[in-house]
Amino acid sequence: MTHEDDRTLDEALSAAREAGRACVLATIVATRGSTPRKVGARMIVDPVTGLVGTVGGGCGEAEVIESAGRVLQTGAAERVRVDLTEDLLSWSPAVCGGIMDVFVERVSAGEDGPG
Amino acid sequence: MTLRAAETSALLISTAEAGGTAAAVTVVASPDAEVLGHRLARVRVEGTSIVHGSLGSAPLDAEAVGLMDLAIDDPRAHDGLRRVETDSGAIELYLEVRRPVQELIVVGAGHVAQPMAHLGALLGYRVVVLDDRPDFATRERFPDADRLLRVDFSDPFAEVPLHARSHLLLVTRGHKYDYECLLRALRADPAPAYIGMIGSRRRVRATYVQLVDEGIDRSLIDRIHAPVGLDIGAETPEEIAVAVAAELVMLSRGGTGRSLKDVERVSERFFKVPDEETPG
Repeated sequence: MTHEDDRTLDEALSAAREAGRACVLATIVATRGSTPRKVGARMIVDPVTGLVGTVGGGCGEAEVIESAGRVLQTGAAERVRVDLTEDLLSWSPAVCGGIMDVFVERVSAGEDGPG
Repeated sequence: MTLRAAETSALLISTAEAGGTAAAVTVVASPDAEVLGHRLARVRVEGTSIVHGSLGSAPLDAEAVGLMDLAIDDPRAHDGLRRVETDSGAIELYLEVRRPVQELIVVGAGHVAQPMAHLGALLGYRVVVLDDRPDFATRERFPDADRLLRVDFSDPFAEVPLHARSHLLLVTRGHKYDYECLLRALRADPAPAYIGMIGSRRRVRATYVQLVDEGIDRSLIDRIHAPVGLDIGAETPEEIAVAVAAELVMLSRGGTGRSLKDVERVSERFFKVPDEETPG
């Protein structure tokens, strides 16, 4: 994460908060093997404006977005293990041969919950 | 008191911009699902440390603060998971550190400055571009720069205080201006982290003659990176910016500047034939 990435995500968090809506923050907290993005990479899933940042794109990110939908509804944080070791010969750019753990949490707009 | 994600992020950013170091931990695994996402931050500015937030128990907070202080003190510490054993079971914390934001000050807003500002921003520098002409340090030409200033080269850093996180690249349109800025930079206290000046071997030599006449010490002159950048055969402004960017990364990470191919010699080792026994 560069300082600019930090600022971009911070702006997205602030925007959602000011608009009074909850969004979801996904953070890569651990990786093994080769993954498209490293520990610390973040993505915000905002139900209105969409995605800010990336945790690597492709099928792996799709799993995270799916989790984000659940987390937004229930408020219960999830830890998603994305396995990119299958289909090493596929043409997908998301195939890197590694595994990553992504922490997915709801960021509330109000005072409820830790967010 | 819970520290929220947005507050934590704002805290880390503002501390890094102010020249301090900040760390934060987030609970990402716990026997108690209620505490998932709880955060604790440690902020250190000019030797003073403070704690923000709580993970819900004083002993856990104390342990987390210890982990964050270790990470703040170790420039090689990596962001990632830390495991803490508690009475109710193991807790996993995601720990992240933000170090002081480094500044790249490009003096002169010409051909090399444009790709340099772009690369500097990509590498995470806060980029400042200075020029004395009105139409050069403009937003259109430098969309990635943090600050664009029109300055007088006789006192170029009046609005840009130099510090130990300043990285200066002198690429003004005239050698005379480079020299004036160089003199200011060399006399700055605290000394900037990097001073690079563009110029051919001959021009650099002429500058050093002038500096010696001025009474500047050899030890200061040795700190100047000139000719600037790594030797990659750069010719175009873009290539020169890449050479300077590579030098900045090399200095901050402690690299050799050589091709990894030659450093690691993977192919050479892979094809190595076992020594044949020579008949005595």
